[in-house]
Amino acid sequence: MKPRCADYTDEIMSPEKVLSLLKRKFRKFSDTMELRDYRGGAGTDVGYQTLWVQVEKSKFLDLIDLLRELDFLHFHITSGDDIGEAVQLNYHFSLFRCAGRGKRLGVTVTVDVPKDDLVMPSLWQWIPGIEYSEREIREMFGVDFDGLPNKALIFLPEDWNEDIKPWRRDEAGPKPEDIRELS
Amino acid sequence: MAEGSNKTYKVPIGPVHVGLKEPITAWLDVDGERIKDATIRPGAIHRGIEFMARDRNPIQIIYLAERICGICSFAHIVAFVRAIEDAAKIEVPARAQYIRTIVLELERIHSHILWAGVACYTFGYDSAFHLGMILREKVMDVLEALTGNRVNYGTGTIGGVRRDITPTVEKVIREMIDLYRNEFSIFYDVVTQDPIAKARMRNVGVLSREDAVTHCALGPTARGSGLRVDLRWSSPYEAYCDMDIKPVVPQDHTGEVYGDVFDRFLVRVLEVYQSIEILEDALAGMPAGELMWEPKLPKLLNYLKQADGTGWSSIEAPRGDDTHAVRLTAGQENITWWKVRAPTYANAVSWPIMFRENDLADSPLIINSIDPCISCMERMVVTDRSSGAEQVVTKADLIERCRDKTRRMMGS
Amino acid sequence: MKLERYLDILTKSIWVFHCNSGSCNGCDIEIVATITPRYDIERFGMKLVGTPRHADALLVTGPVTKYMTDRLRRIHAQMPDPKVVIAIGNCACSGDVFYKSYNLDGPVDNIIPVDVYVHGCPPRPEAIIEGAAKAVLKLEKMKESLKKAGAAK
Repeated sequence: MKPRCADYTDEIMSPEKVLSLLKRKFRKFSDTMELRDYRGGAGTDVGYQTLWVQVEKSKFLDLIDLLRELDFLHFHITSGDDIGEAVQLNYHFSLFRCAGRGKRLGVTVTVDVPKDDLVMPSLWQWIPGIEYSEREIREMFGVDFDGLPNKALIFLPEDWNEDIKPWRRDEAGPKPEDIRELS
Repeated sequence: MAEGSNKTYKVPIGPVHVGLKEPITAWLDVDGERIKDATIRPGAIHRGIEFMARDRNPIQIIYLAERICGICSFAHIVAFVRAIEDAAKIEVPARAQYIRTIVLELERIHSHILWAGVACYTFGYDSAFHLGMILREKVMDVLEALTGNRVNYGTGTIGGVRRDITPTVEKVIREMIDLYRNEFSIFYDVVTQDPIAKARMRNVGVLSREDAVTHCALGPTARGSGLRVDLRWSSPYEAYCDMDIKPVVPQDHTGEVYGDVFDRFLVRVLEVYQSIEILEDALAGMPAGELMWEPKLPKLLNYLKQADGTGWSSIEAPRGDDTHAVRLTAGQENITWWKVRAPTYANAVSWPIMFRENDLADSPLIINSIDPCISCMERMVVTDRSSGAEQVVTKADLIERCRDKTRRMMGS
Repeated sequence: MKLERYLDILTKSIWVFHCNSGSCNGCDIEIVATITPRYDIERFGMKLVGTPRHADALLVTGPVTKYMTDRLRRIHAQMPDPKVVIAIGNCACSGDVFYKSYNLDGPVDNIIPVDVYVHGCPPRPEAIIEGAAKAVLKLEKMKESLKKAGAAK
């Protein structure tokens, strides 16, 4: 599974067009989509924009495929939280990172992974740079990634009890006796 | 360890680092002196910062964010407060944005000079290291005059900054700009014009443009591979919105891209000049006005308690883009979750590619080239797989190997 | 104490080994600043060495992560007697902002005995030099007691 050849594109699409394209293709989730403007300095011009999208797990790969057609999908980080019935993951990406001044479009894709099926498709084969983040989410939340070749612990020590998932808020999380006050 | 015998040996590096930055353990597969492959294992300084933060309010986390990394501490603060400002819809006064920009650039100068000096130290050019460190003390003095501390300035806050640039401080900054205009070229010349220094860095630790894209390389590491990426340009924030900043890439200066350690060196030293220009622009264009959106802390905390939303901010730290994401829930004083991605987290993914087909003696230089820590190789154990015998190689030995190679090149 | 006494003590320069046990690097760059021309601790013959086996003093920074606990103990055990441990920075001394975590075993005196505490976040190079000077005095006392015990000839 060699990573696909990739480079950044100069052919940009305006953030509004990306939004309307997503709304058209993923009509069911169009209520969750939001475009935010960021301004800075003494002027009032928009510096850059970010796009926020939430989809169902079953549609996640379709959305990623669509975004990948626009440009190489630069990956920042996966953030997440234990929200009770599910683990919510937010993938932070950038589009048009190399295309010009103020052209970068940040894209956050939110997806809920239900706790009875904690598996996500891995994006490693397209974005090798995602490896550390998927390994981190795996050890911190216990979400498995289908297709990730190296699933070893990354930040936790070698003798860590792998039943404890530090960022979970339920019984899989650390017990009070696992947490040290230090001073 | 005969070369070409098709037998590889594993050389672990770390995890005890005299380190300047994130300590990381690496296992190098070597065939003779050639590195065939590398495996990276971070985690030695995983303190669980994001977990600790769940029990703290946003103001308390500012001081925790500052202590993620002592070298780019202000970059982490700005990234964090921008994420909070995004989640809670807070507008920052223009003057505060300019002061943030000035401190960010001062921090970039000290970080880049530190890195360039340490890179010279790695291959045995101690005089350049000390020259760089003398120059760096000037910007440390300026930071101390502005914020009262040499490292961990405690200057940023949600909705603004806590220290103003007074006429006295402005004078000190201008003195520093003049000093670097006149003196930094000495350091630049003694390294870039030196044939041995160039030979030690040219074609070492190459990261191709394509690999830099797919492995999501950032900052000077990506720019050294010829990618025009710079968040100050592609998504301008703070006072960068009013400035025309061009990403510094080697092809604009030498006409070619090698993507090696020398290109990364070049990008960083040239960015020192760029930062000086930005400082001048920022001082010239600084508007008058407030420093904070809400100076009363209890009022600010009360507002943040009502806020509800997710914020995301990516800014250009000295080592690349620093991403923070944070979630605030209405009615909760503490934040719900917070995620930090420091630049080295992303750049370290590219290490195995840079190591491949390089000399073992170059490994300190390659580890150093993305700007983590020079002293990563505190202590190494060379294991001979066939006999199981272990031989301890210290960091001193490894640096000595790196320096021996310089001597061989000098023909002495 | 008189200057002569200091000079008498400094018959042998001390060599220092530095271990980062999970610090933010703030202390570590100040340690680097301490050995560079402005502060120049090397004029006293002190220098950072690459292996604990050559060191008289151990500088520890950071709140000690679980990954580093055993490694810190091993480094300390490898140093020859007499040896001193200097905890640099608030988080090595007391934990400072790092509390309530699942991955910390610190502060340093929880793991190995500490002789000199240098507070500050990070401490200034001058404070690190003062800490090193105090360590010299302590080393000298240890040497005397070792001599009395007949362990060192």
